[in-house]
Amino acid sequence: MELIDRYLHAIRRNLPEAKAEDIVAELRDELMSRVEDREEGMGRALDKAETGALLRDFGHPLVVAARFRTHQYLIGPGLFPFYLSVMRIVGMIVVAIVLAISIGKAVMSGEGDMLRIWVDSMSGIFEAVLVNAAIVTIVFAVLERANFKPGDTLEWKPDELPDVLDKQPGPWASAAEVALSIAFILWWTGVIAVPWVRGDADFHLQPSPIFTELFVPILILASVRLVHNLIQWLRPRWKTVMGLTNAVTALGGLAILMLIYQSGQLVTVVSTGMAAEQTLKLQESLDLSFRIAVIVIAVVWSFQALGAVWKLVRRRNG
Amino acid sequence: MPADEDIYEKLRVELRRGSLVLAVLCALREERYGYTLRQSLADAGLPIDEGALYPLLRRLESQGLLTSEWREEARRNKRFYRLSPDGEDLLAQLLGEWNSISDSILRLNEGTK
Repeated sequence: MELIDRYLHAIRRNLPEAKAEDIVAELRDELMSRVEDREEGMGRALDKAETGALLRDFGHPLVVAARFRTHQYLIGPGLFPFYLSVMRIVGMIVVAIVLAISIGKAVMSGEGDMLRIWVDSMSGIFEAVLVNAAIVTIVFAVLERANFKPGDTLEWKPDELPDVLDKQPGPWASAAEVALSIAFILWWTGVIAVPWVRGDADFHLQPSPIFTELFVPILILASVRLVHNLIQWLRPRWKTVMGLTNAVTALGGLAILMLIYQSGQLVTVVSTGMAAEQTLKLQESLDLSFRIAVIVIAVVWSFQALGAVWKLVRRRNG
Repeated sequence: MPADEDIYEKLRVELRRGSLVLAVLCALREERYGYTLRQSLADAGLPIDEGALYPLLRRLESQGLLTSEWREEARRNKRFYRLSPDGEDLLAQLLGEWNSISDSILRLNEGTK
């Protein structure tokens, strides 16, 4: 009997306290009835090995106790498809962000061994993926405990399914766009540090003061673009919203580009030993390259902005 | 083939799992405690693992389909279960559904012969 008591005690430890006494009493009766049946058949008492075999047959204490729990799953079949989908999206965004940041660090470091810097920056990728996977899993486990049923609760409209002919970018292309937007916002707000090219021994480059003045407008523009990329990926049928965010970011981008152009400088050359004349020449040469680059970008963006506005107007009229 | 055996066994378990609630409700038209209920189900050709039976009994009781009481019998306290009036009504509905499914399957089977 001592073995049965120990077995029932092991089950009891894993039962909800309020029902434990009642459940154990019922299981004890079941076990004792079974022992009595066997003993009657054999005409003698069961020995320790035979009792042990009977308990093994009854099941592992953890498994027996788990059957009495209300929740049988960490994430049940109702939530699992949504869990997988969110996990895939989060995983792709995290991988793309780590890639974008590591490439940015390697390119902008200005140091010789770009490959080593890139590999070092990539070392955090497994940790980042694991931490985010754990967060997603915990959130879904909590939703499961709360009996959240996404199929019933989330409004699902067949009308919002993408058209068969919609030119949707692939999931990795979408994840890359979202990740680049997030990486840019993180860098712009100073959450992650990616050093500027420092220059050389006798001079260094620093961003033009116009970027300090345009801090908030550029942040808003990047945030709207992130929203646009997310809609394009996850809600491709929201074409009016997408057209609006596309037009706003295209026009906003042009306006910001114009303000930067008017300021005349992208970077300022600060001499740390370079002759004044040489510093001036370098600054002029950089400003000229910068103006040409801005004009080229402005032309490309203007076509994009016109296209976005045209699509928006056509959609509103038709 | 072992793979075919596995598939058959999985489908058989799935099929029987759905019918166990009905079998338990039918058997509990007469008052029984866990051990005798399990024996009566096994004698009727529907053996059920006790690991599944006791949680099922508690679930059905919490849903108001069964009533239970602790009583002493054969020098031991036993929990006796019986179908509640709500359980009787639900059993009648489920048996109707069971018969309808059975008829449909038979018709489909006949139709394809």
